[in-house]
Amino acid sequence: MFERAYYSYQARLRRALSNPFPYDFYFKQGSILETRFNMEEQKRERRAFGPTFGKEDDFDKERAAANRAAAQQLAEQEGESEEMMPRVHPSDEARDYKSLDRKGKRNLYLLLKDANDAWRFPQGSVEKGELLHQAAQRDMYAECGEHMDAWIVSRNPIGHYKPPMTLSPKGSPFPEQVTFFFKAHIMQGQCRPADNVKDFAWLTKQEIESYVDKHYWDGIKDILSDH
Amino acid sequence: MPVGRAVSVVRFGRPPAIRKPLPISPKTRLPQPPVKIVTREIAPCRLEDHYYSTLQDDLMYLTYTHELGPRPPPRQIRLTYDPNNPYSKYRYNPPVGGSQLGRKSPPPCTAENVVQLEKVQIHIMNKEAIANRSQLLGTIMALRSLTGETEKGGGQHAIDGVQVVRGKKQVGGWIRKGIPVGAKVTLKGPAMYDFIGSLVEFVLPRIREFQGVELPPPSANTETPAAVSGVVSFGLPPSAMAFFPQIEVNQDAYPKMYGMHIHFVTNATGVGAQDRARALVSGFQIPFVRKS
Repeated sequence: MFERAYYSYQARLRRALSNPFPYDFYFKQGSILETRFNMEEQKRERRAFGPTFGKEDDFDKERAAANRAAAQQLAEQEGESEEMMPRVHPSDEARDYKSLDRKGKRNLYLLLKDANDAWRFPQGSVEKGELLHQAAQRDMYAECGEHMDAWIVSRNPIGHYKPPMTLSPKGSPFPEQVTFFFKAHIMQGQCRPADNVKDFAWLTKQEIESYVDKHYWDGIKDILSDH
Repeated sequence: MPVGRAVSVVRFGRPPAIRKPLPISPKTRLPQPPVKIVTREIAPCRLEDHYYSTLQDDLMYLTYTHELGPRPPPRQIRLTYDPNNPYSKYRYNPPVGGSQLGRKSPPPCTAENVVQLEKVQIHIMNKEAIANRSQLLGTIMALRSLTGETEKGGGQHAIDGVQVVRGKKQVGGWIRKGIPVGAKVTLKGPAMYDFIGSLVEFVLPRIREFQGVELPPPSANTETPAAVSGVVSFGLPPSAMAFFPQIEVNQDAYPKMYGMHIHFVTNATGVGAQDRARALVSGFQIPFVRKS
């Protein structure tokens, strides 16, 4: 609501302060194109400055009416009155967290629910002699299926996470584990999780906080985009 | 007292009554508003949003080079300019020239100085204008309808609009000093992104046999001023101008179609600036190909 009011106010200001338009150069006198432009311009001006703005100054009323009809027909043929798509997608209203169409402008991240009912990003282990970004790509396809076209953005990890230290039954600490994160874009397709994954969801940064545990969130929150 | 509700937030109701006439500006002889009016964006800008939501992060990760610790101080190659020294206070500070310019290292990679588009400049030279300066009118009008820029249009005092380019010096048989030979326009902000949008969506896909902007060969010198200034430039043939929807709608109005040079000016500097600038420009879906 505020956004619309702001933009329309700024557009009105800009229209009021704009330089005059050189009709003579761009249009032949009395052409259909000129009539059509004038009609559209009048409509825009009246929307900006009120319904009484501007006056019609036609010398030849009949010819002007004929031109206007022709211009209207031309506009209809070209499908001028196509409506814009709404910003809210049906998947937003249905709260379909598996849809990639939700939250139009925001960045969505893929979260998986593993066998321990914990939500996390797709992850796996590195094999010997493998580079980190290659391992990231292999592990992503292993957990999310081959039915998506994805691209690992950079060879550098964008962040890392160390889980809290746990003790083995004998009392000695387990060897330290580190998870490195890589950024990837999905171009097309959809996640089809492997058998060991219980569920998946496409979430914004703010939604992720309520899914993952506190320690994990503190480790990953700074690598996620606020946009 | 009942408060009236506005019919709509986007419609203009009734203009306020003018109690006292506005003072007339001596410069323009037009009524001068009592406040300085600055106009801002009039619509959300898709490509700008794309930059901040996706490209900026990606470019940071793609172009990141890790450095251990702070950098050593730069080698003093000559006496440096000290504004507090009374001897050099009002003297000219010449820029560093010679071969050192191309070897200047880029600023350290941080989240604050990710490569960003500063402006786009379009430039058309019209040879016929040398003989007959009225030929320049078509060029100027084409640039005006391509970009929508006019001098101080929309109350933006920093916008110069379409500017006439004049010959810099006398070249025998070709050009004379001071005669108009072309026109240029500098785009910033939403106008810049709108131009890139129409270029990428309507023009480039329709140019015949266009594979992409050709990259220089791998053997090209990477220390030239052009390679370290962070500007990506390419040209469009005259046939491409007709594909812009702004021109296409009344192509007959122009005496002919013109080719143009487009410069994408980014904030990248130092060694490898050209590569970082290309990474940014290709993020706006302008394709680049290697010479075969």
